[in-house]
Amino acid sequence: MEISIGVSIEKDPASAAREALKEAIKNLSSDSKISLAIAFSSIDLAGTAILKTIGDSLANTPVIGCSGAAVISNKGIFKHGLALMLLCCPKGTSLNAASASEIKSKSSLEAGRELGEKLLSGFKDTRRDLSIVFSDGLIEDSSGLIHGLEEKLGMSFPTIGCAASDNLNFLRTYLFLNQNLLADSAVGVLLGGGKLHFSMGIRHGWKPLGKPREVTFSKGNLVLEIDGQSAAKIYEEYLARKITELKKELKNFSILYPLGIYLPGEDEYLLRNIISIEHNGALRFQGDVPQGSQVRLMIGTRTSCLIAAKEAAEEAKAGLFNPYLNNRSPKKYFVLLFDSIFRNLLLSREANKELEIIKKVFGQDIPIIGLYTYGEYAPLKALNYRGKIYAHNQGVAMLAIGE
Amino acid sequence: MLNNEIFIHLSFAGGLIFIVWVTAMIIVRMERSKQLQATIDKLKKTLDEMDEQAKLIVRTDMELNKTQEELDKKMTGLYALQRLSSAISTTLEEEQIFKMIDPNYLEELNFEKSCALLWNERLKAFQIQLSVGYSEEATGKIKSAPGLGEIGETLLKGEHTFSSASLQHNDGLKNKIQSIFKTSFFVLSPIMPKEGSRGFIFVGTDNPEALINEGDEELITILANQLGQALENARLFEKTWRAQHDLEKKVEERTKELTSALNEVKMISKRKTDFISAVSHELRTPLTSVKGYAAILLSGKLGDIPSEIRERLEKINRHSDELVHMVNDLLDIARIEANRMTMNKENLDLKAALDGIMDLLSGQFKEKQINFNAEIPQDANKIFADRSQISRVFINLFGNALKFTPAQGTISVRAHKTDGFVQIDVSDTGCGIPEEAREAIFEEFYRVDNSINQEVKGTGLGLSLVKHIVEAHNGKIWVKSKVGSGSTFSFTIPQTG
Repeated sequence: MEISIGVSIEKDPASAAREALKEAIKNLSSDSKISLAIAFSSIDLAGTAILKTIGDSLANTPVIGCSGAAVISNKGIFKHGLALMLLCCPKGTSLNAASASEIKSKSSLEAGRELGEKLLSGFKDTRRDLSIVFSDGLIEDSSGLIHGLEEKLGMSFPTIGCAASDNLNFLRTYLFLNQNLLADSAVGVLLGGGKLHFSMGIRHGWKPLGKPREVTFSKGNLVLEIDGQSAAKIYEEYLARKITELKKELKNFSILYPLGIYLPGEDEYLLRNIISIEHNGALRFQGDVPQGSQVRLMIGTRTSCLIAAKEAAEEAKAGLFNPYLNNRSPKKYFVLLFDSIFRNLLLSREANKELEIIKKVFGQDIPIIGLYTYGEYAPLKALNYRGKIYAHNQGVAMLAIGE
Repeated sequence: MLNNEIFIHLSFAGGLIFIVWVTAMIIVRMERSKQLQATIDKLKKTLDEMDEQAKLIVRTDMELNKTQEELDKKMTGLYALQRLSSAISTTLEEEQIFKMIDPNYLEELNFEKSCALLWNERLKAFQIQLSVGYSEEATGKIKSAPGLGEIGETLLKGEHTFSSASLQHNDGLKNKIQSIFKTSFFVLSPIMPKEGSRGFIFVGTDNPEALINEGDEELITILANQLGQALENARLFEKTWRAQHDLEKKVEERTKELTSALNEVKMISKRKTDFISAVSHELRTPLTSVKGYAAILLSGKLGDIPSEIRERLEKINRHSDELVHMVNDLLDIARIEANRMTMNKENLDLKAALDGIMDLLSGQFKEKQINFNAEIPQDANKIFADRSQISRVFINLFGNALKFTPAQGTISVRAHKTDGFVQIDVSDTGCGIPEEAREAIFEEFYRVDNSINQEVKGTGLGLSLVKHIVEAHNGKIWVKSKVGSGSTFSFTIPQTG
């Protein structure tokens, strides 16, 4: 297995792609066969030019990726840039990349099912190990997408990924599949063959605050009532703001004080950001909030966020080196990092610290490629990777994968 | 029967006890339930209280977050500003200053668009110096927007910064700025260097999260001041540089003029030398004949001559000698000037040379009753010179001194070593040379206007010849004199070759 990363901050997309390719290819041995390219780019570079340049250079190699508010590599965080990872998988590894489009018209659930089915094609007799999925960051029902995927791939099938993002304008996000630039879509890659060792970790660092409350009326990602009162009431009470004021400051307090869903047996609550406040006081969240679930208001600090990043990295690394989970330690591995852009906003000037902490856990030489997201997909019980996959908000998720 | 009664009694008693026990149990249970309820109520109250505390925590946290956000923004802004300032200060070229503004730094200040404009006096319009976040077409539209001049004037007149936040009560101006720069949120600040054209900087964003406040105004004001300062420095530098350049140019021009004048002088001098040389040669032949015939007549070979004629003939002879002497001097000067005279330089003993000369002149010294003394120290006794030419220098200088020194006067020679040369001073106690004549006496045919010169004849070539000879030895000659007290002619001759 060979892994190589190239990063460019060139302003012209084609030049950026050429530079990133050159750097990545330089570090590969000449006879290596590239199995997969993963590309993350800032929104200003996301376009067909980079995909065409990469596609022309790598011929039939599958390319997947998406746009992000910033791209991340060992070298740092780049608001404008392209990060490209070239992966040469061990012999016997199978992989298949696919996409599902027009999510809004066919529902997230349906799109999830379609993507799952497409990913499975060609995998009939091969052992399936892991799927990596990227979705449009502006679709509201990302949980539906996960549910649909789970229906096809299996209820606890290891899946990790993220919702693509733009530069916080929430106008358009992009997905990459080979030379196709997609929006309103989801793309993914299914890896199999049993040769790869991997482990995941996800944390957010927000802590519950105040009384536990119950969601008494909800439909999917729309919560109408909490404790029998209009859902927005909880925020009105805690923040001492009227609905009109809340609407104005929505983005700010949604990041600072998301709703946390209690999941028995899990270390952390599942976070939900508010997307909008409806006229009847109902709250629309980025992800499902099941009726009857116990919820609490959550609060986070920079310190708790940084500790969470360390824990997530430690969890992913421990899993990879756990003899019960992986029968031998990997010779080489790399890390895919999906970091919520909202964490970046909260950490502000300390955002670099989070990357440094993660690098310190894995080791400075371990290749890291990632991006800032509008949501993360990962199983909560990551250590035994038999956990159910959830759509997370404000988390830092990572996949450590090696041979 | 009795047993039956006893049984009934016992049953009654047992029932009574049971009832009492049940009652007691109920009472105990009720009490416990009450206690539990009280505990539950207490816990509920505690939970409610804690929830209230949680609310306080959230509200405090909100305030803290807001403060921290502002602080972060300011810190990031200051860092970006510091980097911008140092970038700007790296250049002293006016055109380069605005190119030093890196869009990444502006982005760190949360502005994705920026324009800097300076007033162009010739075009009577603001010209765009920097455009970030605009296409070429959009930049062109801003440049030709009709309200642009008015905005610039308002800024420069008011001399202070304003933003979309501070213009809340001036919708007219705010809308105008928004429509020209196609941006919702902005800060504008005047750029006011003390010299030259002034202008303003615009920064803007469409991101409503940017929340422009006084802090942004302060940062952009600092940036505008830095730009003003940088422009001022560049202009001062340009001015200084230009002045120096002009000066260099003038010096060059003057040097050229002087060189050409010098060349002209040299040419004229050469012509003069050539002329004198030619004329002198032409004069010598007839002079020789005149002198020859006068001598023949005087010798009486052609018959006796009356004393009146003899007297006239002797005058002819004497004047011919003077003329020959003069022509020879002129020829020598011309030769030296034309570098045609070869100096046969050798190591000479100064004292010996002087003794030789004094042998020739001792009669004249005696005749005029002039004292002579010489001080030649041993270390200044060696010179490297042409024996006969150096003798001519001394003969001319002593001749002059003798001519202008009255009886009982003194002529002295002193020598001393100086920087590879020997300086020889010939002093007299004569009438001295007036200041205005001190330079001119070394010129050909110059004669000081005094009574002695009117009486005593001279060619006016002696000192000029002396000067030429000294200079041909790479030496210098000058004179110090006090009218009525005497003169000292000093010259230098190299010690070695």
